[in-house]
Amino acid sequence: MRSQISCRELYLMFSNLFKSMGCCKVSSLMQAQVEMGLGNEVELKSLLEQETDSRQTNAASLMEQGLHRERRAKVPRNNVVQSFKIVILSNKLNLLLPFGPLAILVHYLTDSKGWFFLLSLVGITPLAERLGYATEQLACYTGSTVGGLLNATFGNVIELIISIIALKNGMVRVVQLTLLGSILSNMLLVLGCAFFFGGLVFSRKDQVFDKGNAVVSSGMLLMAVMGLLFPTVLHYTQSEVHAGSSVLALSRFISCIMLVAYAAYLFFQLKSQPSVYTEERNHNTEMSEDDEDPEISKWEAIIWLSIFTAWVSILSGYLVDAIEGASVSWKIPVSFISVILLPIVGNAAEHAGAVMFAMKDKLDLSLGVAIGSSIQISMFLVPFCVVIGWMMGVQMDLNFQLYETATLFITVIVVAFFLHEGTSNYFKGLMLILCYLIVAASFFVHEGPRQG
Amino acid sequence: MSCCKVPVLIEAQVEMGSVNELEHKSLFRQEDDAAQTKEASLMEQGSLSTSFPQHTPKSPKNSVLNSIKIVIFCNKLNLLLPFGPLAILVHYMIDSKRWVFLLTLVGITPLAERLGYATEQLACYTGPTVGGLLNATFGNVTELIISIFALKNGMIRVVQLTLLGSILSNMLLVLGCAFFCGGLVFYQKDQVFDKGTATVNSGLLLMAVMGILFPAVLHYTHSEVHAGSSELALSRFSSCIMLIAYAAYLFFQLKSQSNSYSPLDEETNQNEETSAEDEDPEISKWEAIIWLSILTAWVSLLSGYLVDAIEGASVSWNIPISFISVILLPIVGNAAEHAGAIMFAMKDKLDLSLGVAIGSSIQISMFAVPFCVVIGWMMGQQMDLNFQLFETAMLFITVIVVAFFLQEGTSNYFKGLMLILCYLIVAASFFVHEDPPQDGI
Repeated sequence: MRSQISCRELYLMFSNLFKSMGCCKVSSLMQAQVEMGLGNEVELKSLLEQETDSRQTNAASLMEQGLHRERRAKVPRNNVVQSFKIVILSNKLNLLLPFGPLAILVHYLTDSKGWFFLLSLVGITPLAERLGYATEQLACYTGSTVGGLLNATFGNVIELIISIIALKNGMVRVVQLTLLGSILSNMLLVLGCAFFFGGLVFSRKDQVFDKGNAVVSSGMLLMAVMGLLFPTVLHYTQSEVHAGSSVLALSRFISCIMLVAYAAYLFFQLKSQPSVYTEERNHNTEMSEDDEDPEISKWEAIIWLSIFTAWVSILSGYLVDAIEGASVSWKIPVSFISVILLPIVGNAAEHAGAVMFAMKDKLDLSLGVAIGSSIQISMFLVPFCVVIGWMMGVQMDLNFQLYETATLFITVIVVAFFLHEGTSNYFKGLMLILCYLIVAASFFVHEGPRQG
Repeated sequence: MSCCKVPVLIEAQVEMGSVNELEHKSLFRQEDDAAQTKEASLMEQGSLSTSFPQHTPKSPKNSVLNSIKIVIFCNKLNLLLPFGPLAILVHYMIDSKRWVFLLTLVGITPLAERLGYATEQLACYTGPTVGGLLNATFGNVTELIISIFALKNGMIRVVQLTLLGSILSNMLLVLGCAFFCGGLVFYQKDQVFDKGTATVNSGLLLMAVMGILFPAVLHYTHSEVHAGSSELALSRFSSCIMLIAYAAYLFFQLKSQSNSYSPLDEETNQNEETSAEDEDPEISKWEAIIWLSILTAWVSLLSGYLVDAIEGASVSWNIPISFISVILLPIVGNAAEHAGAIMFAMKDKLDLSLGVAIGSSIQISMFAVPFCVVIGWMMGQQMDLNFQLFETAMLFITVIVVAFFLQEGTSNYFKGLMLILCYLIVAASFFVHEDPPQDGI
C-alpha cells in the first residue's frame, strides 16, 4: 500500500506498545511488515526451563554485549541465555506461555476436549506474537524489500500452520472456515475496533486515511470474492460439465490466478514504496538512532523463528484434533469455533496493534494491519492452501458453500463502502463491530450441510 | 491501418460506444477493373474537388473503383475478407461445422471494423448529434445481427450468452488491456479519467444488472404469480423501461456534450495539427450509406452461417456452448474496439478508452438486450431477461468489481492486470459450465 506511515512513527508506536508490555525495541522494518499485514505470535516454552541458568551468567553476558557495541548495524552477540532473556522474559504476554505444555498435559491426563482446546488456544496466543517479533528482527538484516516480502509471507503464519495441519487430516471444511473467519475478523472486528477507539480519542474530527490505497485494497478483496464466488455458484446451480471434478479443476485454476495477482500486488506495492519513505523520513529524524538496532543477531532470529514455528505446529496439531471434541462438549457448532473463536485468538496481537495505531491518529497503519492481513489471507493463504491440497492429494477447493460465500460477499461490500470515503469516526467503527456481532451470531446458529 | 484518417466525430462516437466493424467481400472481384481505370478516376476526382471548395465537409465524389480502393484496400485487416466466402464454400462442400464456424469468425472480423469506418464516415455529414446517435445504435451492430439471427432460429440461450459475453468482455478484457497497456507506457504516474462520467456509467450498468436480476430471481425462487408467464411479462416490461432509460441516457449525453467535452479540450488542442484532417471524410455521403448497407448485408449473411454452426462446433471441439458464446464470439466481435481502446490509453486519452469499453457495455446491456427481448416479442419468441442464476451472478459481481475500480478516477497497470485476471477467472468458469438439464430453454 502506498501508506504514508513512517517507519519511525511505526517504530515509535510499537515501541510504546511494547514498553508498556515490557522492554523490547521495535525495528524500523515493522512498518514494511505492517503494510503487508503482519502481526504474528510466537511461542517458546521449552527454554523456560533454562531460566535458572540465566541469572547466574547475567553479569558475564552483559560484559560480552558491551564489547560489541561498535558494530555498525549493531549485531548483538548474545549467548543463549541472554537471547532467551530478551526474547522470552521481556514480554508480559509470555506469561501465557506455560499454558501450551499444560494443554498437552491435560490432553494426556484427562479426556476433556473442552479444557484442552481452551488451554491450547491460550497457549498459542503469545507464540503468535513472538513469531512476529522474530520475523521483524530477521527483517532488520535483510533490507526493506525482502523484509516486506518476509512479512507478506509470514504475516499470518499461525493461520497457515493451522490450515496445513487441518489439510493433512483431510479437514477441508475446517480450513475453509478458519481462513474465512480470519478474513471476516480482520475486516470487521479489528478495523471496527480501530475506527471506534480512534474515533473516541479524536472525537472532534474525522480521522483520515489514504483513499487510494483503500480503494486498491477493496478491489483486491472483491477480486478474492469473485474467485470464491464462481466455484460456489457453479456447484450450487449444478451446472458443471463434469459433475464433481469441474469445481475442483476450476478452483485450482483460479487459485493459480489469485497467486499471480497477489504477486503482482506485492510487486506493485514494493515499487511504489520509495516515495513513501522519503516524505516521512523528514518527520522523525530524532529517532533515527534507534531504528537500526536489532536486539538479536541474524542467526538467533532464524533459530528462534524455527523454534517458535515448531512449537506452533505442535500445539496446532493438538488444537486441530480437539476442535470437533470441543464442539461436541460445549454444544457449539464447529463453524462457530472455526470462524469466530480461532481467528480472534490468532489475531489478538494484530488487533491490539491496530487499535493502538488508531488511537495515535495513524489510521493508515491500522488499515495496513487489518485490511492488509485480510488481503494476505484471501489472496495468498486461501489459494496457497488449495495448491498445497492439490499436491497432497486432498480435495480442497474454493467452494466455501453458499452461506459462507454470501457472508463474505456482503461483508466485503460493506467494508468497501465504509472505506471508500477516506475518513473514519467512532460511529463507523461501531457499525463495523456491530456487523461483526451479526456475523458471529449467524455462525452460532449455522452448521454446514451434512454431506459437505 | 495506417492510412485511414479519424474524424473529430470519433469522440462523440466513442462516447456512445462506437467502433464498428465492416465487411465488404463481393467487390473484391472487381479488383482487376480498379487497376485499369485508376487514372481515369483520379482525374475525375481532381476535377470535382475544385468545384466544392466551400463545402464544410469536403465531400469527395469518388467513382466506384476509387471508393473500393479507399474502403477495401486501405486496411490491412481486410486481408481476412476472403475467409467469408471461403466459409460459405466450406459450408456447402464439407460437412465440418467447426471449420465453417472458425472461418466465419475470421471472416466477420474485418467486416465489423469496416462497418465502424463507414458509420464514422457517414457521421461526418450528419453533425455530432446525429453522428453520436448513429454510433450509439450501430455501435454493436455485429452482435445485434448475430443475436437477431439466433432469435429467428429460436436459439434464445445463445442470444443471452452472446450478449452477456460481449458485456463481460468489454468491461473486463477491453478495459483491463487499456488500463494495463496505458499504465505500462505511463508507469511513473497514475492516469486520470473523468470520474463523473465513470460514475454515471457504473450506475447505468448496475441498473442493467437490476433489470436482469429480478426476472432471474423471480424464476429461481418459484415465486411467480402465474407460473411460467409472469416472468416473461416482467422481462418485457423491464425491457421497455431499460430502453427508455437508454434513450434518456443518450439525451443526457448529447445535451451535456458541451460540458463533457471540456475535459477532452486538452486533447482537442493537442490535436490541432490533425484538425485539418478531421473534417475531411474520404467518401461521399451516399457512398457511405451504400457501403453501410452492403457491409451490413454481408455481416448478416455470414452471421446466418455462424449461428448455424455454433452447436456443431461445440460438439466437435468438446467445448460447452456457453464458452463459445460467452468468450469466443465476443472476443472476435470486439477485436477492433479492443485495439482502439488500447491505442487511446497508450496516448493518455483514457476517457476515450473508457468511452469505447464502458460505453459499449452500456449499449449492449441497456439497448441490445432489451431490444432483443422486444424483437423476440414481435417474432413470437419467448426471449426473456432470465439469464439463469450462474450468468446473472457472474454479471452482478463483475459490474460491482468494475464499478469499484472505476470510482476513483485513476488507473495504473495494476488495476488493468487485475481486470484481465478477473476475465481469466470468468473465462475459466464458463469453460466448465453448462446449463443444468432441467432448465433447457
